[in-house]
Amino acid sequence: MSKVFKALAVPTRRKVLQLLRRRPMTAGELSEHFPVSKPTMSAHFAVLREADLVDAGKQGTTITYRLKLSVLEDALLGFSQAFGIGVGDAGPADEPALEITKGRTS
Amino acid sequence: MITKRLAVAVALAATILAVAAALRYAEGAGTVSAEGARRIMQVLVGLSLAAYANFMPKQIGRARRSPEAESRTQAALRVGGWSMTLAGLAYAGLWALAPLRVADVASMIVVAAALAVTLGYAIWSFTACRSAADAQVGR
Repeated sequence: MSKVFKALAVPTRRKVLQLLRRRPMTAGELSEHFPVSKPTMSAHFAVLREADLVDAGKQGTTITYRLKLSVLEDALLGFSQAFGIGVGDAGPADEPALEITKGRTS
Repeated sequence: MITKRLAVAVALAATILAVAAALRYAEGAGTVSAEGARRIMQVLVGLSLAAYANFMPKQIGRARRSPEAESRTQAALRVGGWSMTLAGLAYAGLWALAPLRVADVASMIVVAAALAVTLGYAIWSFTACRSAADAQVGR
């Protein structure tokens, strides 16, 4: 459950889940909605996948993401969205990418 | 994955049976009244329904061919999950708090209504999806 809270704590990841509510989207389509680098988005996707909030299907070189929220997770998403948890907290949004970058360089 | 789901279902069934046996024993010993035992059992049934329905939108299965079918399936699972979860919670709440005569009827109505919403939305989604596919073929 802590993975779910971690995933929902960042506005970018919540926005990804909101977008996936409409329809399944590819990683590229999702990335277009955010002014961040691709590695940062990949890191966000990885966190969402790890929390089992999205399903990633690979077709060739394209990865399509599908929403995979339980009712409780859906309610938590709505709750955190309504109360703006993590809004204006720019740091954690880039945190995963930074972790990856650090991991590669070290 | 199937083994895990089976194990959870068996564990839940075992819990319900164990609670029923314990309540029967407690009732015989005079610790719990017949009404209390019945209420506890029904609350457990309602909570089990809510717990099961909670995971319904997560069972997305394999990817569908068209994005239309995919989004409609997801929407149907979400509507079903929410309605059955809320029905389960309402069922448990009614059996915990309402007078017996009210709980008896209202709990049935709540679950039947949720089932109707779930099936109705699923059928509507399926029909709309088929119509969209037929229209595309006709073009």
